[in-house]
Amino acid sequence: MDVLHGLGYGLGVTLQPANLLACFVGVFVGTLIGVLPGVGPTATMSLLLPITFTMSPTASIIMMAGIYYGAMYGGSTTSVLVNIPGEAASVVTCIDGHQMARQGRAGPALGISAIASFIAGTFSVVCIMLLAPPLTSVALRFGPPEIFGLLLLGFTMVTYLTAGSKLKAVAMALLGMLLGTIGLDPISASPRFTYGSVTLGDGLGLVPIIMGLFGISEVLLNIGAGVKQDVFETRIKGLLPSRDDWRRSSAPLARGTVLGFLLGILPGMGAIIPTFMSYALEKRLAREPDRFGKGAIEGVAGPEAANNAATGGSMIPLLTLGFAPNVAMAVLLGAFLIHGVQPGPLLIKEHPEIFWGVIASMYVGNAMLLVLNLPLIGLWVQVLRVPYGILFPLILLFCLIGVYSEHGNVWDIIVMLAFGAIGLLMKRFGFDPAPLVLAFVLGRMTEESIRQSLLMSGGSFAILLTRPIALAFIVAALLVALLPLLLPPVKRLLRTVPPDDTT
Amino acid sequence: MRGRDRAAAAVLLVFGLLALEEARKLRFGAVAKPGPGFFPVVLAAALTVVCAALLIVAWRARDGGGDVAGLAWWKIAATIVALFAYASVLERAGFVIATFGLLLFFFKVLEGQRWLPALAGSLATAFVTYVVFKVWLNVQLPAGPWSG
Repeated sequence: MDVLHGLGYGLGVTLQPANLLACFVGVFVGTLIGVLPGVGPTATMSLLLPITFTMSPTASIIMMAGIYYGAMYGGSTTSVLVNIPGEAASVVTCIDGHQMARQGRAGPALGISAIASFIAGTFSVVCIMLLAPPLTSVALRFGPPEIFGLLLLGFTMVTYLTAGSKLKAVAMALLGMLLGTIGLDPISASPRFTYGSVTLGDGLGLVPIIMGLFGISEVLLNIGAGVKQDVFETRIKGLLPSRDDWRRSSAPLARGTVLGFLLGILPGMGAIIPTFMSYALEKRLAREPDRFGKGAIEGVAGPEAANNAATGGSMIPLLTLGFAPNVAMAVLLGAFLIHGVQPGPLLIKEHPEIFWGVIASMYVGNAMLLVLNLPLIGLWVQVLRVPYGILFPLILLFCLIGVYSEHGNVWDIIVMLAFGAIGLLMKRFGFDPAPLVLAFVLGRMTEESIRQSLLMSGGSFAILLTRPIALAFIVAALLVALLPLLLPPVKRLLRTVPPDDTT
Repeated sequence: MRGRDRAAAAVLLVFGLLALEEARKLRFGAVAKPGPGFFPVVLAAALTVVCAALLIVAWRARDGGGDVAGLAWWKIAATIVALFAYASVLERAGFVIATFGLLLFFFKVLEGQRWLPALAGSLATAFVTYVVFKVWLNVQLPAGPWSG
């Protein structure tokens, strides 16, 4: 199926009423939680996972993806108006976006971020469409050693790109993988660490762990810290950027899009690092760097484009390799698996309706988001005025309902609450929960690939070094590990990036 | 920060050792034919080594000061206790009653709202969420004593 034919087919799938509704609900909810500080796309996607049980796999994935890229739009609204990032990837938007709002230019700031998001989002969809099929045909030739090499590279990047202590990130990844071994052994099906419990035989659930680490812990932290929103009181007028704004922001927008997309494909990047890199790049290229931090529209356009393009880019490893490059994609992977669909190289052939349907839905979703975020901006400003004292009980309640309804079992609530408390402590002690969750999801794949590799080679680890693709991955992993030592600027840049709690 | 880092590393180290001890009870198999215990043992051993390294780093680090802002721990603890209590009564009391109690606790005790709005808000939210999730979205929730 060639690309245009595939896209046409995908549009047909997306325009079916149920899928169109799923897309709308996804981007709407995504914008909503993007606007609300303290709830992010990852927690929301896992929260809504149980609701998708009754939907078709295609509609579920369309909705989940919509939440993810929708949140990237909504997050910037809060950054501009409240100077709090609505979700973590909008941190940079606060710098110049909020300054613009203080100067009475909230309208153009919101306008350019929605338009930049739209352009970048659409660009990344086109790239996914063009890149995914050829990548898929390469990935089809991967055996267990190649998969193991890829996972090793992915984990190396995830831990090396974490802000703060790399050792802590490695510890969290190992802990996550260890927690993932609870339950039945994937190859021999013998129980591990279950202590005779039937519930533990199924292992710990992904949903309760994510909701605990990203949802509950965040709410607890906010309760303890006493969050106060301070919505910047201004009349938002003139959403459309002026000709001068356009002149200033078009090049940053284009650079942010390409940069974000390329970085987004890489494991561990998430959507935050590209925004910081885009901001740093624009500041360096600017003729008047002094304007940055004082309401420069370039400082909004570049990073906003970067985070949306990165969001699209991160779909590529998932759709073509079945590898989740960040936590949000790990939840999306979970959504695939719950519906009995394995994303990866076979997806395009076995489930073309999902593959092309999701891609086409992202075009449609981006158009919906533009409408939701520009003319309806007033609605989201009202949402921002809801006090946290009313908001947090509702967030907790939705977490409780979501996690209980997955299996109708109180045990899942207990697991979620335990991980909520653990997540709070982790944040206080400077441990990033993202490597833990990623390793938890990918642990099974890692274990299977290494055990099968060893079975193939009769116990020799040399199999990882004698096959060219596997060797290339392992060499790349080593390079990534050594990169910060070789290039001090890379290290310095990474140090400025805050932890990626894309909650 | 130094004291915190040491404590965290120590706790993780103990966990790593415990996991290693437990993982060793599983069948390891051979490298040519790895059994169920192979992967957990490798992971637990690696975790132990990494945590030992963390502990050494934390021990040698100079105290950088710069403590993070304090939190209202009583509020956090009260919230956690309330949520565990909710989990323990949910199936016996049913969704509406348990949720009403939980929300009332949040609105009245934690947020200090007045009785009337707190009561009305809790009751309305409990009912509306029940109708939306159970009736519209067909999500499973315990009905409690009223279920026929």
